[in-house]
Amino acid sequence: MNQWLDDRLHLSRLNDKFLRKAFPVHHSFFLGEITLFSLIVLIITGILLALAYEPSNSLVVNSFDPGTKADPNLVPAAYHSALKINAMPFGDMLRRIHHWMANIMVAAAVIHMMRIYFTGAFKKPREINWWIGMLLLIFASLTAVTGYILPYDNYAYNTVSVIYAITKSVPWVGDWLAQAAFAGRFPGDGIIPRIYGYHIMLLPGILLALTGAHMLIMIKQKHTQPQYAKRLAYKKIVGVPLMTQQTPIMLLLALLFTGLVVLFSAFIPVHPVEYYGPPSPDPISGIKPDWYLLWVFGALAIIPGFELEVLGGVISAEFVGAMLFPGIIVGAMFAVPMLDRSKDNMYYAENPTNHPVRLAAGVAFLAMMIVLSVAGYKIELIQGGLLTSANANTILWILTIGVPAVCYAATLGIVRMIRALREADERDALAHSHADD
Amino acid sequence: MTRYKKQDPEITRRKFINVAMGTGAGVGVLSLVSALGSAKPAFRLTPEKAPPIKGDILVHAAADKEGQPIRVSELSEKGVSAWPMGKDKEGNPVIRKGEPNNQLAVYRFERDRYKVPEEGGHAHVVLELNGITADGVVAYSNKCTHAGCAVPNDPNDSTKLFCPCHSGQYDLLQGCKVIGGPPPRSMPQLPIKLENDQLVVTETFVTAPYGFLNEADWETYLEQVKEIIG
Ligand code: FES
Repeated sequence: MNQWLDDRLHLSRLNDKFLRKAFPVHHSFFLGEITLFSLIVLIITGILLALAYEPSNSLVVNSFDPGTKADPNLVPAAYHSALKINAMPFGDMLRRIHHWMANIMVAAAVIHMMRIYFTGAFKKPREINWWIGMLLLIFASLTAVTGYILPYDNYAYNTVSVIYAITKSVPWVGDWLAQAAFAGRFPGDGIIPRIYGYHIMLLPGILLALTGAHMLIMIKQKHTQPQYAKRLAYKKIVGVPLMTQQTPIMLLLALLFTGLVVLFSAFIPVHPVEYYGPPSPDPISGIKPDWYLLWVFGALAIIPGFELEVLGGVISAEFVGAMLFPGIIVGAMFAVPMLDRSKDNMYYAENPTNHPVRLAAGVAFLAMMIVLSVAGYKIELIQGGLLTSANANTILWILTIGVPAVCYAATLGIVRMIRALREADERDALAHSHADD
Repeated sequence: MTRYKKQDPEITRRKFINVAMGTGAGVGVLSLVSALGSAKPAFRLTPEKAPPIKGDILVHAAADKEGQPIRVSELSEKGVSAWPMGKDKEGNPVIRKGEPNNQLAVYRFERDRYKVPEEGGHAHVVLELNGITADGVVAYSNKCTHAGCAVPNDPNDSTKLFCPCHSGQYDLLQGCKVIGGPPPRSMPQLPIKLENDQLVVTETFVTAPYGFLNEADWETYLEQVKEIIG
């Protein structure tokens, strides 16, 4: 039977080419895998949710609270189906797993990217994979954002109105763009079917295609090797093969990790659609994007309002805060591999402390993201009396620039100091060993 | 080196493929653009989506009282959310809730607390003191002009609004002028009067509501509305 299959499918070639792929043995190399596992769980839970979800914003009678014949209680069908999902056995749980998995996928991807950045694994020949990784991050956030809108409760309704406004703020073409993307003027009659199409077809398709490309390139180029591999066998690939050593580790990790997420999905509720209620004209407080978009939200909060007319287009604070500024940040991240001019291929993961400037720049960047995310809580900071509305912007701006600068200098200083001490130690050891003989 | 320049068939073939690919890509992009053109549906203005029109009355928007006319006695410094309600062609009442900007917040303060604002910063303020009823009732489109969040009262000062999204602040007593945060314009006021115990709209929003880039954009839209609704 094996022979029969092999004759037709050339399994032995597959075995040689892919299944024997060597995986480096180091825990930081699992981060990418965790991202992949989350994507798989997301797709499975997503399919289950899609089977019970009704993608429509036309009004239906709320079967849980029908009102009276004369005055029926009408809610959007999408919202109604979210209520129904919650009422299903384990339906609420399914939503929670899907939600938390999405958050963890982004978190794992971000930490994975940090690993790549700090060890220099983005260098030649792996630039393409850094760029694909960036695209994955962007499309993953877009997928998450569209997912937020689907329950179409009051929170989702307010979220999508803000996203619509941001799209519309693009100078010159914004109006057309927003109407094309969201099926007409907000809230168009077809907005939910449109977003549903994005969330379950278009964006996951893009994510899967990019993930496939990401991994094929990774298999072709091989992982960067951890430092120990250099001592073990110079310029040789060291690691455990996918079949049969890495597979059980992966399975174990996947199960353990999924189990953990399921466990805390059981205790931490998400997006309580019943609490927010159907779309309504009443203001809701505490509206915030997910943590990975909080920095954009913060930037929007501290950029003062202005409107500038250029050749008939309007450049607004909103456009600058939500499009231009994130565009610059993302652009800088895209440009990371271009900063490295080395001609040789990279084999070994670098020790971050051997590259103090890169390390310090990375730390400063993360610090800035954190400060901007804190700025996303400006309204709470003001209401809590920590800042006043008069000084909030100034203070937050100073922090946005100052904290990263301090972090940069401090990291550079500390790393230089450590290296100086280390070198002194080595000299010392050398001197002593001489004295010994 | 050969003396004769030989036509290399490889090159021509490569050229052909390049040209073919280029044309293919061009046609592809063109058709994609035309397909995208259909992604933006035509906008049909229905009475439900029309902006508030002279003669509309203000009705409750809260689910339990939806459609009931608002009485002055129900109003206070805490905003009451409202919709404008007008009539369609057949004369049936229609609540205009298809347009998010029609989400109104109606407040009541003592009449003499309102003041004409000094023009400040980026806030283009219009306060029509004659758009406030004798009882001090005033109505605004409750959509933050920054990114369109609905804005509740500031918990520390009910004469102010504090936007939960990016901390935009407005002063209710000065025509909803922006007094903090990123919003570019004051919240648009809806002039109203009191008639037979009902709040009646006397003209549509006096400044461009959220989603319109500037006053000119808003004026063009109003022209369109006039043409369609008559
Ligand atoms: S939406 Fe109100 S401040 Fe941004």
